[in-house]
Amino acid sequence: MTAYIIRRLLQTVIVLFALSFITYGLMGLMPGDPLDIACAANPRCTPENLDLMKKQLGLDRPIYERYGKWIFAFVQGDLGYSRTYRQPVTTILLPRLLNTMILGATVILVSLLIAIPIGVLTSLKANSKFDYIVNFFAFSGISAPSFWLGLMLIIVFSVFFKWLPAGGVETIGVEATQGTWAYLLDRAKYLVLPTATLASLTIAGWIRYTRASMLETMRLDFIRTARAKGLAWHHVVTRHGLRNALLPVVTVVALEFPRIASGAVITETVFSYQGVGKLMFDSIIGNDFNVAMCSFIITACMVLVMNLVADICYAYLDPRISFK
Amino acid sequence: MRTVREKFQVARFTLLIVMPFLMLGWSSKTSWALPTNKQLTIGISSEFETLNATIAQTAAALYIYDLAGRTLTSINADWQWHCHLCKVMPSFDNGLVKIVEKKGEKKLVAQWEIIKDARWGDGTPVTAYDMQLAWEVGKSANVVTGEKEQYEQVEAFIIDPKNPKKFTIVYDRPRYDYYEFATFYLLPNHIERPIWEKTKNSLGAYEKQTAYSSNPTNPGLYHGPYVIKEVKLGSHVVLERNPYFYGKPAKIDKIIVRIIRNTQALEANLLSGTIDMVGELGITFDQALALEKRIEKDRKLQNRFQIKYRQGMVYEHIDLNLNNPILKDIRVRRALVYAVDREKLVQALFAGKQPVAMHNTHPLDPYYTSDVMKYPYDPKKAAQLLDAAGWKLGKNKMREKAGQPLSLTLMTTAENKTRELVQVFLQNEWKKVGIEIKLKNEPPRVFLGETLTKRKFPAMAMYANISSPGNLPDSILHSKSIPTKENGYSGQNFSGYRNRATDAAFDKVRTEFDPSKRKALMKIVQQEYTKNLPVIPLYYRAQLAVIPANLKGFRITGHQFDSAQAAEDWYLQ
Repeated sequence: MTAYIIRRLLQTVIVLFALSFITYGLMGLMPGDPLDIACAANPRCTPENLDLMKKQLGLDRPIYERYGKWIFAFVQGDLGYSRTYRQPVTTILLPRLLNTMILGATVILVSLLIAIPIGVLTSLKANSKFDYIVNFFAFSGISAPSFWLGLMLIIVFSVFFKWLPAGGVETIGVEATQGTWAYLLDRAKYLVLPTATLASLTIAGWIRYTRASMLETMRLDFIRTARAKGLAWHHVVTRHGLRNALLPVVTVVALEFPRIASGAVITETVFSYQGVGKLMFDSIIGNDFNVAMCSFIITACMVLVMNLVADICYAYLDPRISFK
Repeated sequence: MRTVREKFQVARFTLLIVMPFLMLGWSSKTSWALPTNKQLTIGISSEFETLNATIAQTAAALYIYDLAGRTLTSINADWQWHCHLCKVMPSFDNGLVKIVEKKGEKKLVAQWEIIKDARWGDGTPVTAYDMQLAWEVGKSANVVTGEKEQYEQVEAFIIDPKNPKKFTIVYDRPRYDYYEFATFYLLPNHIERPIWEKTKNSLGAYEKQTAYSSNPTNPGLYHGPYVIKEVKLGSHVVLERNPYFYGKPAKIDKIIVRIIRNTQALEANLLSGTIDMVGELGITFDQALALEKRIEKDRKLQNRFQIKYRQGMVYEHIDLNLNNPILKDIRVRRALVYAVDREKLVQALFAGKQPVAMHNTHPLDPYYTSDVMKYPYDPKKAAQLLDAAGWKLGKNKMREKAGQPLSLTLMTTAENKTRELVQVFLQNEWKKVGIEIKLKNEPPRVFLGETLTKRKFPAMAMYANISSPGNLPDSILHSKSIPTKENGYSGQNFSGYRNRATDAAFDKVRTEFDPSKRKALMKIVQQEYTKNLPVIPLYYRAQLAVIPANLKGFRITGHQFDSAQAAEDWYLQ
């Protein structure tokens, strides 16, 4: 097991190195430069000024040279400065990464707590009224665009009922003036709407996965054998059925976390949630190489690590799976 | 036939869709408290970067800085240059400006004095040393700034040894715009000097270590009506009244600037009361028009908000690529303008709030003239001009010459709803006279950063130029400003416009001190512009803000220097 994990981690490093080179190159190949646009918007920005700015930022150097400098600094722990924000990358990235982790973990937790039990129940009561109702909402959840759903939730819960904040991460000044519990409660309030928006999609998808997987598993011979042996129904379902049915669901769940971490751009924008998804999108568009590359490395790491976690979970759920 | 169950599902689904809108309508009828002078929360849709205005480049950063800092001079909401930090505006009349000769070259010398009571937020007096430091930082090749010219024009900076509030500037040459220091932001010498001395020899080092980044809540960094109390990048800035402000004290105790990137969400936040107002960096024009209609119909909303518009210096137009063989013919260019009912366009799309542009100079600009060739809507004349140019109507009612159709490509920035609507309007107008228009849009980064700057658009490019009152448009109209491979694609004359009279006027105007003569020179530029039509003028964009109904003293400027530079005048009744 340990050798397997070490082997996978080494593979991860090689994959990251190759991916970072490709990504850096692709960013460099993108046509246009935000500096040109900024200069065009300033009536007093001269062409000489623009050339000087490009030289100062090293943008006049070939892309391989710039990549070489970046990777050399990166492996030494120097993440560099953001070209857009004029701040160290860590200052910008870490608080946003933490926010995204909190949001992602909440979405995953809420989704698991809702989707798995409902998925199991719908499979056990397949084609019942309950199954139809759940299916209707599941398809609605999958179909509803997140920007629309987000805005609707703001209109209902913030504009109409005034129960929840319309956007942001926390109430301005709450940390300084109130205690820890008040702060945590405040943070939780700001998490409700973005979580609901993101979770509606994941819950809907996971219910469908769990249902389909459970339906297939519950038809297998070993389930029939377990029941014939006189095992309690709930034991048959949870210990035999669900444990086997969860195998494909684990992969989906494991890969959902990096997806939320890197792809919740729309939800973060609608709720003004200071996450890393929007930052990554802006940094790519703004040619902010240091921020974009760090965000990308983190996301790629998440995908690779969560894949590894999924593989380890397989072994726990199904001891027949070998790591050799 | 639908079953009862299906009908029930359809009804339920419809209710789910419609319910939020019903609630929205109902919500506007609930009671809301108007903000008071204790706190005003402003929503903006752009992100800010560093609050060191000398190196900041985003409009949002400068908007926030304008609440907390002042420049030596600026342009006010009446479009007049005036003193902010200076005691008197130096001029030839008051004897504070003169032209001297040094080593056979003529130089302009101006004597300045900073207001006696001007202090930084920690009580330290604002002196000429702060201005000198800004000059040193701004002109340094190791610091990235949006514009260098304003620093490079200063050849020598001499501080009065007896009075550090007084200083003399020697300019590189005689220039009439010597007083234009609206983007020359002072840096606190007592805080930033040690940092600058440590970093000035290293490329990009100052930006990384400036106190505006490492300790942005230090009150000594600001000398405006407010000082910054809290900064969260990408989220918000909290500002509180500066007790050391030299001007009249700000009436609102605390201002919070919140960033909400999505303009729909910004509007929802406004309606929910999370923010009190949306400044100039906020919602889109079409959103404002829709909101205005709602406000007109709803008395409760009327009690909460008012929408302010002001015609601005943003000039929306279409550059014509004069290398295109079809567009080389002036008759075709004129026909294109005659064929479009621009008055109908601004009425239909902007309720008349964004007026038709005659040329690139705004009617409120000191150089504006209406004594130019005009192009009222006249499709018959357009047709005659096209006939004369050899473009005859074909069987399908489209024009052609020697078997080639009269077809042009109109490009603009993608995902800009307003521009897309304008494109469709223009396409229909030109179709009426037999011109085929193909629409091709690109993401702003590609369109503005590559297609336009390298003149890769085949025929027409629609975008906007931003200006300030009295600004000279030589960077967009002088033939030296045509971007080419040889000059590294520098310059913004994207049409490829070459006009001797225009070039000569620009060459003279920079050193012309007589305002009436400058105006006469700029009249030539505008007359040549409308005669030769390298560009199709469309409209001047308006600036807008949605403010609380009880906010007084707020004025949209209409130019690049925003309303926040008079924030001390704002109060909530």
